[in-house]
Amino acid sequence: MAVRVQVNAEVCMGIGQCEMLEPDVFELDDDGIAHVAEGATVTEERAQELIARCPSGAITIASP
Amino acid sequence: MTDLADPGLYSAGIPHSVFADLRSQPGLHRNEGPVDFWSVTRLADLVEVSRDTATYSSEVGHIQIYDIDEDALDARASMIDLDPPVHTVLRRLVSSAFTPRHVQGYRQAIRDRVIACLDRLEAARGGDWVDLVAAPIPIGVICDLMGVPEADHGYMIELSDHLVAGTSSEPLSPDAYGNTTELRLLPFNSPAAHGISEYARQLGDKRRAQPADDLISELIAAEVDGERLTDEQFANFFRLMIFAGNETTRSAMAHLALHLTQFPAEFDRVRHDGELLAGAAEEVIRYSSPILYFRRTATREVELSGTTIAAGEKVVMWYAAANFDDATFDEPLRFDVGRPKQPANVAFGGGGAHFCLGASLARLELEILIDEILERGLRLELDGEPTYVDSNFVNGIEHLPVRVM
Ligand code: HEM
Repeated sequence: MAVRVQVNAEVCMGIGQCEMLEPDVFELDDDGIAHVAEGATVTEERAQELIARCPSGAITIASP
Repeated sequence: MTDLADPGLYSAGIPHSVFADLRSQPGLHRNEGPVDFWSVTRLADLVEVSRDTATYSSEVGHIQIYDIDEDALDARASMIDLDPPVHTVLRRLVSSAFTPRHVQGYRQAIRDRVIACLDRLEAARGGDWVDLVAAPIPIGVICDLMGVPEADHGYMIELSDHLVAGTSSEPLSPDAYGNTTELRLLPFNSPAAHGISEYARQLGDKRRAQPADDLISELIAAEVDGERLTDEQFANFFRLMIFAGNETTRSAMAHLALHLTQFPAEFDRVRHDGELLAGAAEEVIRYSSPILYFRRTATREVELSGTTIAAGEKVVMWYAAANFDDATFDEPLRFDVGRPKQPANVAFGGGGAHFCLGASLARLELEILIDEILERGLRLELDGEPTYVDSNFVNGIEHLPVRVM
């Protein structure tokens, strides 16, 4: 199932791990925080991996 | 009872059997010796502490085992010893220069440095791996990034060597480098910290007059809540980068030489399958665990792993123990370049606000060094015993004599 992910801007440390794993979904802006591209989705399994691999613990699945 | 704060415990590297014993016992280990603290040795517990900055503060007490006075804490404060939200503001001033994507831009400059160092080692058919390879590469890279001129790199190595007790053989007099500050107010109580701050101030002045395309110029111009960094904030920033970007990566690179001689078959795997390069770099980092621990202080009473921690008590995260937790890693004492990416090791921290800013840069430096070593078929053998840094905080190697075979 495709899901949308979101980044908590308060928690994101701008490490960029997500951007490296999914360059089409995440982009680090000049503010040093990861942003999710409009309408981008990933599989639920990939989302769980992204969540686990975010060192800041900033990624969650967005409620549909 | 083992006193985990005793530097002698680490004089031959990570004390694996001591840590294995502590991991197998329920709850957290209470260190009772000259100094009291809780030790976290299992990876799952460590991650829990690391990610909860509200409960486990970096700002209260100190991030090393021994407390220091309030005024000394204030004097040295940089992002690593501050909690959010101030921490976050400072970190975001520089974070974009260290993302995985951004550090790819330093690839060629790093490779040039690696090539120059390995050429020198090969020409001499060996020598001290630390002096010739492990020390100059990371300091060169971080100085390039900051904008420290090449001619001053040697001075930066000298100063940062003095910062960690035992990394340098010559003791300093309190007024070394023109220091007039009370030693207890200086990071690592070292006059070398004054030397670095003084250098930062001078370089900052130069860049203020004539900005360049480097991190120093960005920091000089940076504003937090509409205000420039104070001289002290700026100097502390600079010192943190020089220390954090240098000592740690040097240590991993020093251990790499040991790994090359101890586990040649693992590096042969990488030679035949370039896909394993990143895994090899990561395994060197896990296996060397250059930072043994960081400490937090509980801001409230909290229960962890069945142990009740009182507000104000010290909690020490032993990265070097958690990285060999067999609940997380298969055969943790085996050096294996093919380990899965998940679960991640905690050499760069257990995640959360303070996760190593330079992780992508350090990984890239190691990858390039390993790649270049394999590319030229460099084979090393030890030409004497390694000497370890006398410290309970870093797993550093002071000297490592090698011969090129
Ligand atoms: C193998 C090399 C390295 C290791 C093992 C390492 C390890 C660590 C660890 C364990 C922490 C604390 C994490 C925490 O408290 O959660 C840390 C923080 C930090 N590291 Fe590294 N590090 C390495 C290389 C670098 C490099 C190359 C830089 C260069 C910029 C760097 C800059 C920093 C900074 C600035 C912090 C503080 C971050 C913060 O408080 O937000 N490190 N590092």
